[in-house]
Amino acid sequence: MEKAEKISFKSGHRARAVFLIFNYIFLSVLMLVMLIPLLKVFVDSIDPTTYGIRLIPKVIDLSAYKQIISSTNLYRPLLVSVFTTVSGTAVGLLLTTLAGYVIIQKKMPGRGIMVTFIFITMLFNGGLIPTYLTIKNLGLMNNFIAIIIPCSLSAYNIILMKSFFETIPSTLYEAASLDGCTPMKTFLKIVLPLSKPALASIGLFIAVGLWNEYMHFILYITDTRWQNFQVKVRDLILNDGISGTSITVSQDMLKNAVVVVVVFPFLMIYPFIQKYFTKGVTIGSVKG
Amino acid sequence: MANKRKEKSKDKNTVPLRVRIYHYRWFYFMFLPVFISILIFSYLPMFGIVYSFTEYTPFTKVPKFIGLENFKVLFEGKMFWRAFFNTLQISSVNLILSIVCSVGLALLVDEVSQVHFRKITQTIIYIPHFISWVVVAAIFTMVLSPKNGIVNAGIELFGGEPIYFLTSDKWWRPIFFIINRWKETGWGTIIFIAALAGVDMEQYEAARIDGAGHIQRIIYITLPSIAGTILVVFVLNLAKILNLFDSVWVLQNSMTTGVSDVIGTYVYRIGITSADYGLSTAAGLFKSVVSVVLVTMANKASKKIKGEGIL
Repeated sequence: MEKAEKISFKSGHRARAVFLIFNYIFLSVLMLVMLIPLLKVFVDSIDPTTYGIRLIPKVIDLSAYKQIISSTNLYRPLLVSVFTTVSGTAVGLLLTTLAGYVIIQKKMPGRGIMVTFIFITMLFNGGLIPTYLTIKNLGLMNNFIAIIIPCSLSAYNIILMKSFFETIPSTLYEAASLDGCTPMKTFLKIVLPLSKPALASIGLFIAVGLWNEYMHFILYITDTRWQNFQVKVRDLILNDGISGTSITVSQDMLKNAVVVVVVFPFLMIYPFIQKYFTKGVTIGSVKG
Repeated sequence: MANKRKEKSKDKNTVPLRVRIYHYRWFYFMFLPVFISILIFSYLPMFGIVYSFTEYTPFTKVPKFIGLENFKVLFEGKMFWRAFFNTLQISSVNLILSIVCSVGLALLVDEVSQVHFRKITQTIIYIPHFISWVVVAAIFTMVLSPKNGIVNAGIELFGGEPIYFLTSDKWWRPIFFIINRWKETGWGTIIFIAALAGVDMEQYEAARIDGAGHIQRIIYITLPSIAGTILVVFVLNLAKILNLFDSVWVLQNSMTTGVSDVIGTYVYRIGITSADYGLSTAAGLFKSVVSVVLVTMANKASKKIKGEGIL
């Protein structure tokens, strides 16, 4: 809209100016509403005296964080989360880019079948119990493969990736193959380097999905030693305590600190990747 | 498929299929890992649908064919229909709220001409989307806690009684909708903000010259221009309407199942907790079939209104 229009109280502009002022105030309040629950959790994790409506810490007490670092009970789930997220994102990006690259080969025999093969999984799936029994019968219980592949490979991401690859001019591929590049080499040397924005945004979606994964761990990891951090957070909040740890700090502080630890890694990388994902989402809105 | 392929190869008639396949050999090799992954994790489970026609628990060991018995039990059960109607009610209210709030917020953000303020707003409103449902539930359990949560502390400050938001039948759904809006409204605006950026500026100029006010311009130009995007988002979400699970699962507790039990949690409870695989698969199959019907109908509607389908 009239981007250049400045706030002014000249007659005729008054209603618009009032609206703009209201708009800025409304959006500011909205941002606060988004941030206060997060801020509150952080403040409560470092100051045991702030419970209630106070948002400014009086004292800074890091004992809850020390407890988390020293308690192996929380250490292991954290490592499990890091491991599944990193390896899953790598596997997911590899499979997604491979699939996307193969199905943009317009003249390849069988391309239609491949696209349909991928597309059907968006419409239909076996459902909870059949999937659970399949994993069980394949002996994949307590195996991270049962989490990494289903959580990192999605038909939607493949279609997204394909749409992005299609924006790369096809003359580039032809030039590469004339220069004697094998398809694999073209893929590694030309397609991937040109696809950084897509890799970043889809990689972020996959990583966030894996970092936040909960249900797959509940279903397929029955050995409690291999549970991830989200499951631990849930246990902690629901059961009102971590079994097996010698509690030296207040439970509430510890709960809050655990939430901070689980959200923090994302908030750290978020500003660096944020610029990419708007593009990623808008590509998705174009018909794939 | 086969016919189409023949026609295609006739067009290119000079090169035999064998040669063309050989030419693309590397691509088939590259597709292999994807093929195997999808086959194992998406297609193999589809065969498991036959369990819905069997009596099967970990104790019966071998699935015994019982025809449509599971479906009969399912459709006669009060619990299933309660879950079904809860799903419909919760999903549809959530869907409508989500579109209205996201479009409204996108319009407001679009009015912001100050680049920095706009960037900060967008950065902050997207954040909650990336926080898992488990952690969101944890945060709001603490924020809404009757003991020392900030909301109840506020209520008490004004002389009210603390409210047990998450364990009360009356409050559970409103709170569920609010938490959903907190988490997803900002993220929902992305697609509409992109659509708004594509609205033709000349139309605004023309309307201005014709003397249209700001509100009129929004109603007659902005909204019709992004109607297509709104429709696509609506239809896509309508198709997913029965897939409600994670959000409900983490916020649910035994005190509120009357208003919060949905098909997803019902299937989980019957299948995993009670280990009645046959009945649970039947419920899941019913859900899938209704979902596919919804997707197909939505696609047809979109074709009729927009001239093109979403699929």
